[in-house]
Amino acid sequence: MPAEEMEKMDTHHHDQPVEDTEIKDWKRKLVWSWIFTIPIAILMLSERLFGFALIEIPYSTIVILLLGFPVVFIFGWDTIKGGTRGLFTFYFNMDSLIALGTVIAYLTGIFSLGDVVLDYSGVSAMIMAFFTTGKYVEAVARGRASQEIKKLLELGAKSATVVRGSKEFTIPVSEVKIGDIIIVKPGEKIPTDGVVVKGESAVDESMVTGESLPNDKVKGGNVIGATINQDGILYVKATKVGKDTFLAHIIKLVEETQSEKIPIQKLADKITGVFVPTILVMAILTFANWWYFSQDLSRALGVGVAVLVIACPCALGLATPTALMVGSGMGAKRGILIRKGEAIQTMKEVKTVIFDKTGTITKGKPEVREIYSKAKENYMMEIAASLEKLSEHPLSKAIVNKANLKKYKKVTGFRVLRGRGVEGKIGKNEVIIGNTNLMKEKKISVKEFENKIQSFEENGYTTIIVSENHKAIGIMGIADAVKEDSLNAIFELKELGFRVVMLTGDNERTAKAIAEQVGINEVIANVLPEDKAKKVEALQLEGMVAFVGDGINDAPALKQSNVGIAMGSGSDIAIESGDIVLANGSLSGVVSAIKLSKATFSKIKQNLFWAFAYNIIAIPIAIGGLLHPVIAEIAMALSSITVVTNANLLRRKKI
Amino acid sequence: MKKYKITISGMHCASCASNIERSLKKVSGVRGASVSLMLKKGRVECDDSVSEEELKKAVARAGYKAVGMEKE
Repeated sequence: MPAEEMEKMDTHHHDQPVEDTEIKDWKRKLVWSWIFTIPIAILMLSERLFGFALIEIPYSTIVILLLGFPVVFIFGWDTIKGGTRGLFTFYFNMDSLIALGTVIAYLTGIFSLGDVVLDYSGVSAMIMAFFTTGKYVEAVARGRASQEIKKLLELGAKSATVVRGSKEFTIPVSEVKIGDIIIVKPGEKIPTDGVVVKGESAVDESMVTGESLPNDKVKGGNVIGATINQDGILYVKATKVGKDTFLAHIIKLVEETQSEKIPIQKLADKITGVFVPTILVMAILTFANWWYFSQDLSRALGVGVAVLVIACPCALGLATPTALMVGSGMGAKRGILIRKGEAIQTMKEVKTVIFDKTGTITKGKPEVREIYSKAKENYMMEIAASLEKLSEHPLSKAIVNKANLKKYKKVTGFRVLRGRGVEGKIGKNEVIIGNTNLMKEKKISVKEFENKIQSFEENGYTTIIVSENHKAIGIMGIADAVKEDSLNAIFELKELGFRVVMLTGDNERTAKAIAEQVGINEVIANVLPEDKAKKVEALQLEGMVAFVGDGINDAPALKQSNVGIAMGSGSDIAIESGDIVLANGSLSGVVSAIKLSKATFSKIKQNLFWAFAYNIIAIPIAIGGLLHPVIAEIAMALSSITVVTNANLLRRKKI
Repeated sequence: MKKYKITISGMHCASCASNIERSLKKVSGVRGASVSLMLKKGRVECDDSVSEEELKKAVARAGYKAVGMEKE
């Protein structure tokens, strides 16, 4: 099979979880354990089942000891070894409890031959068999909990076809260098982030952005590594490789979230840390008490073993990570990246959602819609575009695009007046271009344009005034279309009970016109970029605030807010600046992110409640001597399985 | 200050993760350690003076194995 086809097959077949070996391992132990344990169970219960003992005591004890030996000391060896070492090094874990429980039970069999105690040796094999079974089921469920994330980790392409000289080479992705030209055929994965230099095609980016419709890519378009080229051949120049790619960032982010502690988990973690030694002490005390008061060594041993094996730190320790894993996996699939696990907890306190206007509610691709000039329109556009060409601002780009000049005039003394406009000199003429605030500041009269400006603003246009030598010569109305789903998303947020506010640098009238289109009643206009964070702070006095912005200009506001939601499209996201990052730019992602956070957090709470309740109720019952050790072990296994399964149920939630 | 990502084998319960964290934090120069049972990975933040070997030993001391170490 050609390497290329292998690669293609590969993309469909790497659903195999990394945990596979762990699961297989437990499964093998499980099967062998039960092969030996079932006869033990039949022997132990034969008197009750058939009314007579299949093998008479003490021979039955010897048979059980022989059958039980491999279960405890061969198939369970890892547990015994790990647990015993824990007892000596003081790094106790789950295994320490099981090891102690099973070994003690096994030893009773040997001592029973000398009539010292009753025989519990059968119990030891059964505990180990149930423990192994529980671990197996738990490992499967844990694998399921992380399936989306695992897919993400394995999403990257393995090889790339690069052009060097006039030849094509197929090389591993890790050897691709920045600047390499990569050929991507239809159906292939794009190996790394880059820019299209030749060809056109539709690219399916759903795996990293959650956006279901393919994006058309032409020359100059940015492509993301791991997305799938659909129908044309693309020549892509690699712009980012290795750790710098979008996918690598997402993976790092997901891993960081997973190893981060959420406040609500802190108590559980503290308990987990001291759990095993505490239980060891409790088991010893229980044993001593029972022996002293009942004078029955066998009974005391049975109760002690039950206490050892019923306690389950796993349910406590797994409660948060599993739910978070399922939640962040569900999110990643939809282009919602939870960067700070803490945001999930904070989200439920959030009362107000603040949206930045440009690029968040609107598409962020402004176009000049109307021009009104007292001078020659061509002349005005020429000087305007010559200055704006030097600025990176989206509005500047709109003006440059509109003018569509072949040649620009030479500009000297160019300066960007942040949040207001630009200034510079063309020849001897001083040109200032910007909003009405800037004109006011520079004492340039806009009197003769006043009516026109008002009508522009009522249409929701951002109005830019062009002045030459301190005299306004014309104005431009620039509009930024509202994203299709903004109206719906904002409606839904209000339904959910949030106060929705729009924040913008635009003037009041323009801002209100846009706000009206999407159903927002509260607008804070005329905000300079550097003041956004202050406005957020002011709103925080009335309750917790989520800020939704583009992550590049809004970084301080995102940081100031209680939950910062950064959005962008494709690889253009500033991942570092948000607590939650939306890979596709639609506002419905904000609603989904909020719903997902709430659902995940309530799952975490359920899990923690269950885990605490289980241990608080079960341990006293075991101490009271009301549980047979085998039943205790079954309860223990079920408790951690319940937690992981419950986390998996999060998937049923409609987000 | 540097950061490491450690891939750890042998973990299978929540106590395991907290044991490894405890052991890593005991290494002098380690500022923070956090281990994820779900990902079988740990992240460590430590002074430049801490060697990879010391971190590996800390994982081993708790009874587990560091199978991979990556500087971030």
